[in-house]
Amino acid sequence: MLKLEGISFTYGEAPVLEEVDLRVDQGDTLSIQGVSGSGKTTLLKLVAGLEREHKGRVYLDDEEITTRVPEDRNVVYLSQEALLFPHLSVFENIAFGLTVRKVEKEKLQAQVQGLIRRLGLEGLSDRSPEQLSGGQKQRVAFGRALIVNPDLLLLDEPFASLDRSTREQMQQLFKEVVHEWGITSLFVTHNVKEAIMMGDHIALLKDGRLHQYESMQAFIDDPQSGVKEEKSFWESL
Amino acid sequence: MKSRFKKILILATAALYGFPFLYMGLMSFARRWTYPSVLPDLLTIEHWRQLVVGQIEISYSFLLSVVLSLSVAATATIGGFITSKYIAEHRRSRWLLLGTYFPFILSPVIYAAFIYYYFVWMDLTGHVAGVFIGHLLLAYPYAIILCTGFWSRRSRKMEEVARTLGSGPWTTFARVLIPLARGILLMTFFQTFLISWFEYGLTTLLGIGKIQTLTLLVYQFITEANIYYAALSSFLLLLPPLILLLFQRRWLLYKVKGEW
Repeated sequence: MLKLEGISFTYGEAPVLEEVDLRVDQGDTLSIQGVSGSGKTTLLKLVAGLEREHKGRVYLDDEEITTRVPEDRNVVYLSQEALLFPHLSVFENIAFGLTVRKVEKEKLQAQVQGLIRRLGLEGLSDRSPEQLSGGQKQRVAFGRALIVNPDLLLLDEPFASLDRSTREQMQQLFKEVVHEWGITSLFVTHNVKEAIMMGDHIALLKDGRLHQYESMQAFIDDPQSGVKEEKSFWESL
Repeated sequence: MKSRFKKILILATAALYGFPFLYMGLMSFARRWTYPSVLPDLLTIEHWRQLVVGQIEISYSFLLSVVLSLSVAATATIGGFITSKYIAEHRRSRWLLLGTYFPFILSPVIYAAFIYYYFVWMDLTGHVAGVFIGHLLLAYPYAIILCTGFWSRRSRKMEEVARTLGSGPWTTFARVLIPLARGILLMTFFQTFLISWFEYGLTTLLGIGKIQTLTLLVYQFITEANIYYAALSSFLLLLPPLILLLFQRRWLLYKVKGEW
């Protein structure tokens, strides 16, 4: 379970996040929708420990992790770009988290091979990232994140750069795997439709302030979410 | 026709670069040579034998120069890479980077004159350690300048990904950043090696005649008109940079494919 209490962050003099509170239960996905510059990425970086100059507290499974360094949080960050390590093969990229944890070779091999099969990456193990398509790269990045069995997965518009059909495949795969593994996750997107589709719960981040909705319907009904605007646009065509 | 011209041009360029090297190699075997002959009258392996058995000071100077330059290059490259990261991420990175140009705004000799007092005060003049530090004061900022180009938004993101996957700062350095930067690191090593290897003015001032690197010896033999030893030492002077160049030719052009 993830809990944020009174998170505020300023960049220089400018406030980026103001008194953000949120809660995500174990195994749930919270979608955070917001336009560019609303503070979505900053929020994820704070949770990951990549930005630590902030006010407020971060709790993971009832344990405070506010001052912990990123490598001690078991919170994995997945961004829009796959950011695969170009000097490593697909297998080595996926195995990275286990390698730095010094997991036994046989165990590592079995886990990575299993995940490669689950993600439909058979036959690509020895390829280098440059030989992969955009969708395959994101699958590898997803596998690299899953292999460490994270307590929390942070997804920063991970499918935004993919074409429509690949994006839909990846969204489906993400939903299946996250539920199968019972992973708690924060899914950040500017896309209203994607936010509704991907999350078990939803929140809106606007001008650094976060509003977590009781239900999807409450989000849809809120004029600030922009759902009604979009709906009326399509109806007017 | 075009490809033939290209071939001739390549051969001419190769000859232009190769001739002095070959000629110096040949002259290092000369026993008797009189002006204006192009080729020596007599050849011998005597100078090389003396070099191998360590009978002449060239042997010592060559070894000293190799050890000195390799140490300077390794220290400057490692130190420069780490420092450049902190400079690139610093709020005043532009100002800090500007400071690294200081030794090059002055010439190395004037720079040596600048720091000479401190070296005398610390009793470093005339010692290998003093010359090492002197060379490092030139090579280290140069390494910083070269390595700064590596640090970008993308390298930062790669680092962040590795950290969230459980990799500590040093593991991230060793497993992610250094492999990504190997092209730039090899280039930096090569460049800083050359700075130290061919350094003359600063070495003369700080070495006060007691430290004779190969570069200093070449000048000495030339001024003494000792053409056989001058040829031998010049040949040796060109050898390590040539070996390094051949060794890292592919790395000079190295780029992590696709993503970098």
